[in-house]
Amino acid sequence: MTREQLSEMTKVQLMAIARECDLAGRSTMNKSELIVALVDTAVDVAPETVEPEGLGGITIPGLAPEDRAEARARRDALNERLSGFVDTHTHCAWTSTEGHPCGLPVISETEACGLHGDGSIADRAIPLTGQLGFGSWPPLWRHLSLATYDIDSFGLDPVIAEMAWHVLNMLYYDYFRVEVEGIENVPMEGGAVLVANHGGAAIPYDGAMLSLAVMNEAKLPRRVRVVGTEIFNMLPGVSHMYRKVGAAYAARDDARELLKRGHLLGVFPEGERGFMKPVWEAYRVGRLGRGGFAELAEEASAPIVPVAIIGSEEVHPAVMVSRKLARLVRLFFPEQRVDEIAVALNPIPLPIRWHIRFLPPVMPSAESHHLDALDQLERAEDVRRTIQSALDDILSERRTAF
Amino acid sequence: MLITGAAGWTGGNLARRLEARPDLKVYAVDDAKPRVPFSSDFRQLSLDRLTLARYVLEIQPHVVFHLQSVHPTSERGKNTESEERIIGSLALFGAIERLDTVEKVIVKSDTAIYGASPRNPSVLNETTRPQGTPSRFQRDLTEMERFIGEAKTRHPDTQFTVLRFAPIFGPRIKNPISRYLTLPTVPTLMGFDPRLQFIHESDAVTALEYAADHGIDGTFNIAARGQLYLSRVLRLGRRLPQPLPGRMFDGALSGLARADMGVPRHLRGLLKHGRVVDTSEMTATLGFEPAFSCRQTVLSAYGHMVETSP
Repeated sequence: MTREQLSEMTKVQLMAIARECDLAGRSTMNKSELIVALVDTAVDVAPETVEPEGLGGITIPGLAPEDRAEARARRDALNERLSGFVDTHTHCAWTSTEGHPCGLPVISETEACGLHGDGSIADRAIPLTGQLGFGSWPPLWRHLSLATYDIDSFGLDPVIAEMAWHVLNMLYYDYFRVEVEGIENVPMEGGAVLVANHGGAAIPYDGAMLSLAVMNEAKLPRRVRVVGTEIFNMLPGVSHMYRKVGAAYAARDDARELLKRGHLLGVFPEGERGFMKPVWEAYRVGRLGRGGFAELAEEASAPIVPVAIIGSEEVHPAVMVSRKLARLVRLFFPEQRVDEIAVALNPIPLPIRWHIRFLPPVMPSAESHHLDALDQLERAEDVRRTIQSALDDILSERRTAF
Repeated sequence: MLITGAAGWTGGNLARRLEARPDLKVYAVDDAKPRVPFSSDFRQLSLDRLTLARYVLEIQPHVVFHLQSVHPTSERGKNTESEERIIGSLALFGAIERLDTVEKVIVKSDTAIYGASPRNPSVLNETTRPQGTPSRFQRDLTEMERFIGEAKTRHPDTQFTVLRFAPIFGPRIKNPISRYLTLPTVPTLMGFDPRLQFIHESDAVTALEYAADHGIDGTFNIAARGQLYLSRVLRLGRRLPQPLPGRMFDGALSGLARADMGVPRHLRGLLKHGRVVDTSEMTATLGFEPAFSCRQTVLSAYGHMVETSP
């Protein structure tokens, strides 16, 4: 192709050609670099012209009739599926020491409800009444106020987690309209490490959406125990809520213990750097920490599932990353270790249409259970590249962000 | 047998339990008058410096329960007192080393040794290295446990068992955490809801007794099954939480301390970040199983449960 032909095309079309030729490093190139790189390649791809849709007429994302109908249908399908996990005809026989009966339906093929059973509620988020909805909140409140159940040692409170699940589904189905692909790559048994790209700038929506994706779409509604930085432990209000909904602190001991118990571990190894990416660097996956997650997975012989999340990095487009602001914050909160603060202009998140793709798992090696520092970094780099190319794929197919 | 710190609730009850056994002579010492009456040979002497050590050399015990190793409410302003107590412990371990009769030493430590830091892992086990700035109490405990480690290396034949107790709670015991939790309205730190673990008062005494009978060398976390958020504890106890922002909460705590309610400062960290320890060593290696779960402990402490176990 000639330079003229190429320069007439849009970047999306160029990207499509670059993908066709399997051009290395295409994700970080801008348009002119792509043209230079593609001039010499002798491909005769005539990419079909893509007409942008959806932005032409004035439709408010999430409020369009087809969006509403789709959200309702997905929610109904979820409730239908979840109700199959409990047996509403039999009730849990548990009675507290003060004499309060439990009264919740039992989980199918067992003899106790989720709260008073064998503790599998810490892994499988089966709704206690079999339904998600405000209708099930009165019995949940009762158990919450009587404290009839035990929390797990990381602080997961199954009742509060279920309420949060129900509330966050509004974001999931109605606002972000999350589409999920490749959910079969998430194992339904035993531990696994879900590694995803991080974004958000202000609020880590991606952690919540990642767990909801597994709870809403997988065959078994398994919990993803997402780990967060120490800042979660320090912020008033957040410090206990994040634990109650099933997240944990990103200390190596915690992650190891979660994997040992066979939970799904959700990590965002890009960390604060990735979280505070300015909008012009969105969807360019940075270094995945020091690859500690690879070592943890190897130790526990758990697979690593790379996850590409589209949406999180645009909901709060960061227009500025400031060190001075961070210094100001440190002045008032000396115990916070913040280096940079990303500034987004919108107080409410943008209604981006999210897309989450679970990629084929990286299996742990069969015999050796030890990775040296180089192995860790190499594996982390492999995972990074997998996530990056999946992100590129999804982005090039996407017509509009909304 | 020798019990130090016998004036406290735990020590007194331990003495009473041991008295019930035949062919056992129990000596008890403390620097205060016993709160629980018992009939053993009690001597009131100061636990600091060399007094205690000299007494130990005199009576030549076989088993030593060291319960009052660290000043319980050590905090700023009481530095000398807690330091004296540490020196007393050091002297006691020295005396134990000099005697050949001592077979077992059981030391009561506290899970406060892990501190309460936002950087601590969620579940602490015996080998976890605590993060953050240590409180005075935490430093004293660490130092005391270091003495034990040193004594152990010199006398490998003597059994040294360190029991790190979670906050002891129950209907009768009076300690900082029970005084705090049984206030009519409980000041809490706004925006924080710590995870707490307890051990029932009777289980604490049983654990000490168990360590003397079947104990093995080592350090063990002693806590009841399960854990509870502070908000749930207060709900179970039908106490009204009074959330206060940071500064006012500090003020309330120092007010309580000054009003002689005995709520020391090192509780602040616990009431902000909480603390949960791993008890798998306790059940697997030591083989001890508390009778009360955490929830039952709280119910029993507030008198909402008919006790079935001793």
